[in-house]
Amino acid sequence: MDLFGGLLSGFQVVLQPANFLYCFVGVFIGTLIGVLPGIGPIGAMSILLPTTFGVSPVSAIIMLAGIYYGAMYGGSTTSILVNIPGESASVVTCLDGYQMARSGRAGPALGISAFGSFIGGTFSIIALMFVANPLASVALKFGPPEYFSLMCLCLTILIYLAKGSVIKAVIMGLFGLLLSTVGLDLTTGKPRFAFSAATLFDGIGIVPLVMGLFGISEVLTNIEGPLERIIFKSSIKNILPNLDDWKRSAGPITRGSVLGFLLGILPGGGSITSSFVSYTVEKKVSKHPEEFGKGAIEGVAGPETTNNAAAGGAFVPLLVLGIPPNAVMAVLLGALIIQGVAPGPTLINDHPDIFWGVIASMYVGNIMLLVLNLPLIGMWIKVLKVPYGILMPLILLFCLIGAYSLNNNIYDVVIMVIFGIVGYILRKFEYEEAPLVLAFILGPIMETAFRRSLIMSNGKFSIFWTRPISAACLIIAVLLFISTGLSIYRKTKPKMTE
Amino acid sequence: MNKRYDIVPGLFWIGLSIFAMAGSYKLELGDFRDPGAGLMPFLIGAVLFLVSLPIVLKPIFKLKIRNEIPKKTDSGKIDLVKVVSVSGSLFAYCFLLQKLGYLITTTSLLIFLLKTASPRKWRFVIIGSVLTVIVTYLGFTFLGLRFPRGVWGVR
Repeated sequence: MDLFGGLLSGFQVVLQPANFLYCFVGVFIGTLIGVLPGIGPIGAMSILLPTTFGVSPVSAIIMLAGIYYGAMYGGSTTSILVNIPGESASVVTCLDGYQMARSGRAGPALGISAFGSFIGGTFSIIALMFVANPLASVALKFGPPEYFSLMCLCLTILIYLAKGSVIKAVIMGLFGLLLSTVGLDLTTGKPRFAFSAATLFDGIGIVPLVMGLFGISEVLTNIEGPLERIIFKSSIKNILPNLDDWKRSAGPITRGSVLGFLLGILPGGGSITSSFVSYTVEKKVSKHPEEFGKGAIEGVAGPETTNNAAAGGAFVPLLVLGIPPNAVMAVLLGALIIQGVAPGPTLINDHPDIFWGVIASMYVGNIMLLVLNLPLIGMWIKVLKVPYGILMPLILLFCLIGAYSLNNNIYDVVIMVIFGIVGYILRKFEYEEAPLVLAFILGPIMETAFRRSLIMSNGKFSIFWTRPISAACLIIAVLLFISTGLSIYRKTKPKMTE
Repeated sequence: MNKRYDIVPGLFWIGLSIFAMAGSYKLELGDFRDPGAGLMPFLIGAVLFLVSLPIVLKPIFKLKIRNEIPKKTDSGKIDLVKVVSVSGSLFAYCFLLQKLGYLITTTSLLIFLLKTASPRKWRFVIIGSVLTVIVTYLGFTFLGLRFPRGVWGVR
């Protein structure tokens, strides 16, 4: 199927009334949870995952994807008006967005953020369309050793880009891999670490795990401090940026679109890292770097464009290689697997409706988001005023019902609560959950690839470095580890000599 | 979190890695030509053990890898009582849901959570909880979800 034929069939899929409705529900919920601090896109997607079981795979993915990129739009509203990021990718928008609001320019800040998000999102969809097919043909040549090495590289990059301690990120990755081994061994059928509990024979469910780590633990973290927040009181007028605003934002939006797409593809890159990179780049190239942090519109336009472009870029490794580059995509991969769809290089040919349907839904979704975020901005500001004391019990209730509804099994709820507490404790000790979730999802695929490779090579590890693609992945992974090790050594050396 | 507290999770990871290695050894490791069910978890456990060692050893040898400043919440104080009581209520919910059914257990949980979150009038809390439970019950039953009936036969 050629590019435009594929896109046309995608529009036919998304414009079916049911899919159109799911797309709208997805972007609406995405904007809502983006606006509401205290729950991120991963939490919302995992809470709503059970509701997608009864619908077709394409409708489910359209809705879940809509939540993801919708949250990127909505997240900026709280950053600009309340100085609290609605979700982590909008943290950097607080710096200049809130300052713009304080100086009476909340309207243009919200406006440029919505337009930038639209342009970045649309650019990444176009790029995704062009990149996917050639990359899929390369990926078709991948065997088990290539897949194993590629997944090692993915986990290494994720660890390399970890926000905090590298060792802690490695531990989280290993913990995730270990958790993924719970349940019946796929090859021998032996139960592993199941403690004779029937619930654990199928392994730990991705949904209870993610809901616990991101939903419950987020609530527990939020309730440990004061629950009130102050909303900046200002009338929002002139939401359309003026000519000068557009002139100043054109560069950041263009750079942000390209940068976001490229960083989104990288494992661990995602929307959060890319928005920070964009802010740093804009500050460096700006003729007035001193204005940054005091209400520079470039500081809003760049990161907001970038985080939306990254959201689109992240679909490349998921849809083409079947490898999720971040925790959100890991949930989407889980959703696809639950629906009986295996993403990978054959997805475009085997399930063109899903591939092209999701791409077309992003075009439609981006237009919906522009309408939702500009004329209806007043509605979202009202939503912001709902006290967290009321939201918190509702979030918990939806997590509980969501986990129970998976199999009508109370033990799924118990597992979710346990992982909620585990996630809370991990946060207290500054361990990141993202490497855990990604490793948990990649674990079974990685183990199968590892064992198949060894069987193929008659037990020789050389299979991993005698095949060019596999060797290249492993060399990059090793170089990244060496670079990280050197960086730690440089920081440790002065302390040791003291 | 202060560096010296890292020793606690460090010890946990070491314990977990030993448990994983022992458990996988029992599962049969096989060999590299024919890997057994325990090989992968054993290797993961072994690497976890090696990686966790520096976390435990660092505070002992006073090697500071990064300058970490102990973090506090915005208010400077963590309300652990609230965290523990909410976590406890969730466990209690899991335990009681099968026994008391959805309507009674969920209403009780919501009343507790709304009162714990912030001081509100009892009337608001009770009416809000009952209405939420009715709406979610009707909504999710419509979607085909079967809630536990409980000993009194109330769903």
